[in-house]
Amino acid sequence: MTTHLDLRDISVSFNGFKALNGFNMSVRKGELRCLIGPNGAGKTTALDIICGKVKPTAGTVTFDGAALHELEEHEIARAGVGRKFQVPSVFRDLTVAENLEVARAGRPGVWANLRWDLGQARRPNVERLAELVGLAEQLDRPAAYLSHGQTQWLEIGMLVAQDADLILMDEPTAGMTAQETRKTAELFGRLKGKHTLVVVEHDMGFVKAIGDIISVMHMGQLLAEGTAAQVEAHPEVRRAYLGSGGITNA
Amino acid sequence: MQIAPILIVCAVVFALPLVLNNDFLLNKVARYLVLGILTISLALSWGFGGILNLGQAMSFGIGSYAMAMALKLKTIPVHTGSGGLPDFMVWNNVARLPWFWEPFKSISFAIAAGIIVPALVAAGLGWFIFRSRVTGVYVSIITLATMVVLNLVIIDQQSYTGGFNGITDLAQLELFGIAFDAYGRATFYLVATCVMLSLLVAFAFTCSRAGLIVQAIRDHEGRVRYFGYDVATYQIFVFALSAAIAGLAGMLYTIVMEFASPTFLGVQLSLSVVVWCAVGGRQSLVGSFLGAVLVAGMQGALSESAAFLETWTLVMGVLFVLVVLFLPKGLAGLAQVAWHWIVHRRQVTQGIAHGVGRTREGSA
Repeated sequence: MTTHLDLRDISVSFNGFKALNGFNMSVRKGELRCLIGPNGAGKTTALDIICGKVKPTAGTVTFDGAALHELEEHEIARAGVGRKFQVPSVFRDLTVAENLEVARAGRPGVWANLRWDLGQARRPNVERLAELVGLAEQLDRPAAYLSHGQTQWLEIGMLVAQDADLILMDEPTAGMTAQETRKTAELFGRLKGKHTLVVVEHDMGFVKAIGDIISVMHMGQLLAEGTAAQVEAHPEVRRAYLGSGGITNA
Repeated sequence: MQIAPILIVCAVVFALPLVLNNDFLLNKVARYLVLGILTISLALSWGFGGILNLGQAMSFGIGSYAMAMALKLKTIPVHTGSGGLPDFMVWNNVARLPWFWEPFKSISFAIAAGIIVPALVAAGLGWFIFRSRVTGVYVSIITLATMVVLNLVIIDQQSYTGGFNGITDLAQLELFGIAFDAYGRATFYLVATCVMLSLLVAFAFTCSRAGLIVQAIRDHEGRVRYFGYDVATYQIFVFALSAAIAGLAGMLYTIVMEFASPTFLGVQLSLSVVVWCAVGGRQSLVGSFLGAVLVAGMQGALSESAAFLETWTLVMGVLFVLVVLFLPKGLAGLAQVAWHWIVHRRQVTQGIAHGVGRTREGSA
């Protein structure tokens, strides 16, 4: 399989602080890549670079041959990149069903959306999605009334609705119970193959359950890459995590 | 939101002439209805799009002047100089009708312009605002400032606009052989029809996918981008649609008031619209409309009563503060709560009446 997503020599600095410093990563199509690292390693910034929230000061991002770093956020999304944020970001005044509707951005133009097919032909799809993320009972409730875990699920559901080729997940299991985390791992297993996933996560149990290849970041750079066993045995990684009780407790 | 309240309100508006047998009163109510249309337009951009346009009266004023210019050119020669030149131009030693007045000899052009020009101006302004991702209070400041500039230009260019006096002594609008006298029923029904049209168009938009996306942008602008929507385009669209409706209201206002004045795009009116919208409920089209009719009606009544002649603005201010503090969703929100309470109570009573059978059904 060829390279799907490729980050080359990415550097970003915020007022002189180098959040990323010559960061390289490439991901193959259908892969589920986990991105780990100590706090401040630049994991979230790496996702921000891919989805266009932050522009790199140097370096290139290519996705299926398209230069993402030259595009605006909505153009990147149209190129097939979806993003779940660390702080669950949903539309609080809209109902669960409406949130899922908005995420289904088949045709994103204004004129194409001056149509009235809400809640009719598409309802079965929305219900199926809501069932997938366990929100079938909450379809007509405003998202503001959901619990933190449910809000996480809703945003994951919205990403499934968006049906992007590349899905970026920033700490998807934060605030979830052990059971919910297991369900999330299952869901990711199903998404893998059809979608390419890049997941930032702290929970090593979760990472081991879902990840094929793990990229470890440290101080804005790629430190190591490999399977969970390879990464854990890596001397540089052990050094980076020194003092925090090793990678498993990160 | 449902369509039933809209239909009920429209039915009531159309039935009003049956009750009000006073031409003067009918004209006054028509005036409040027009202000209601203006407030619907603000609800669309503010309540649904999250864009607080403090210069909403600018679109209203442009519409009003478009209609006034056309009607001025239709006046009988008593009110015009040689060659049909408007009287104030004669007084200001203007020899020929300016080029931008020429097309207003056609009433259909004026009507089209009264809707399209505000929409285009808003789209242009919106292009600068939303492409540069200006948000929140800065949008309000820019819109307010733009309106003030246009207001000053109109006052300053007396020879072309009538200046402070505005455009007065207008002919009656005649369409399809019907003369629209400001105090006649025809005008009232014209206004009522436009109320219905505005409510339905705005309602249709809020029900569309685009309307849903606009509301999503209001909730979380940044998030919408990552689903592939070009946020600025949606904002420009709702901004322009809102301006078009405000332009329509402005044209009707000229017909009802029989003149156009710089105060129609003044700060006072523009801010009043915000108050009406907030009192009625900015996230409800019907609510904002009724808010305008009720509060503007109250303003009218208070300012004419001897007791409140001096203090009516104070009363309005207190009302606004109370609503903002205790009714964040305005009267519409209050109505919603009341409605839910009634429905809930009925369900509870029915539940008791049906007893155990219903409970089993529910748990099955």
